[in-house]
Amino acid sequence: MLILTRRPGERVVIGDEIIVTVMGVSGHTVRLGIAAPQGVQIYREEIWLAVKEENRAAASAAADALPATPPAPPAEKDDEGS
Amino acid sequence: MSLTFESIRFGTVEIEPEDVIEFPLGLIGLAGSRYVLIDRNPGTGFLWLHAVEHPALALPVVCPQDFFSDFSLEIAAEDRERTGIEDTAGAQLYVTVRATPNPHDITANLRAPLVIRDGRGYQVINTNEDAPLQAPLFAVPTQHQIAS
Repeated sequence: MLILTRRPGERVVIGDEIIVTVMGVSGHTVRLGIAAPQGVQIYREEIWLAVKEENRAAASAAADALPATPPAPPAEKDDEGS
Repeated sequence: MSLTFESIRFGTVEIEPEDVIEFPLGLIGLAGSRYVLIDRNPGTGFLWLHAVEHPALALPVVCPQDFFSDFSLEIAAEDRERTGIEDTAGAQLYVTVRATPNPHDITANLRAPLVIRDGRGYQVINTNEDAPLQAPLFAVPTQHQIAS
């Protein structure tokens, strides 16, 4: 992994078309500005991982995995719940 | 003229060319950029978003408004810029569904809906903080809710 030290306002250029700017640093938080072509997808890593996991889980469903009718509520349902 | 494609789940599927939805950026973590919506579970609200060029790639989806009356979508600024979709006017919205053996455990991903308009689709990040990754599709009161 390439490790660079940058100050606020300084930039990193990736390839010809992606520019990452350090907008500011505050305590343990770094604000980054990212300029990239339209086709480049940029996500916070935790969101990207979580959505990827949900997509793959969804795509693993068998053809008959979906119920034909909504499941009945549990017999012991408490109507005072709401 | 109809097109056909092969599906490991549904065999040979016949579609109209205009039904193909282009996902220029794909779905996060999945192959495929051309999909169709097919209705193999009529009356249930479930559709399958099936990749035309990948026989094994299909995801169950639902319209979020059909199952979540308070669903709202706020598209992240970076997604608005990337997709050119500023709002959802005139768009169809879907959310992916995680099927489970127990139907009560089926969930939908309200955090990353699919926005389809004019034959193009994008998976966007919903910045509405109330939008969970796993929202139970068939809401039942939990013990916690009953107690509170």
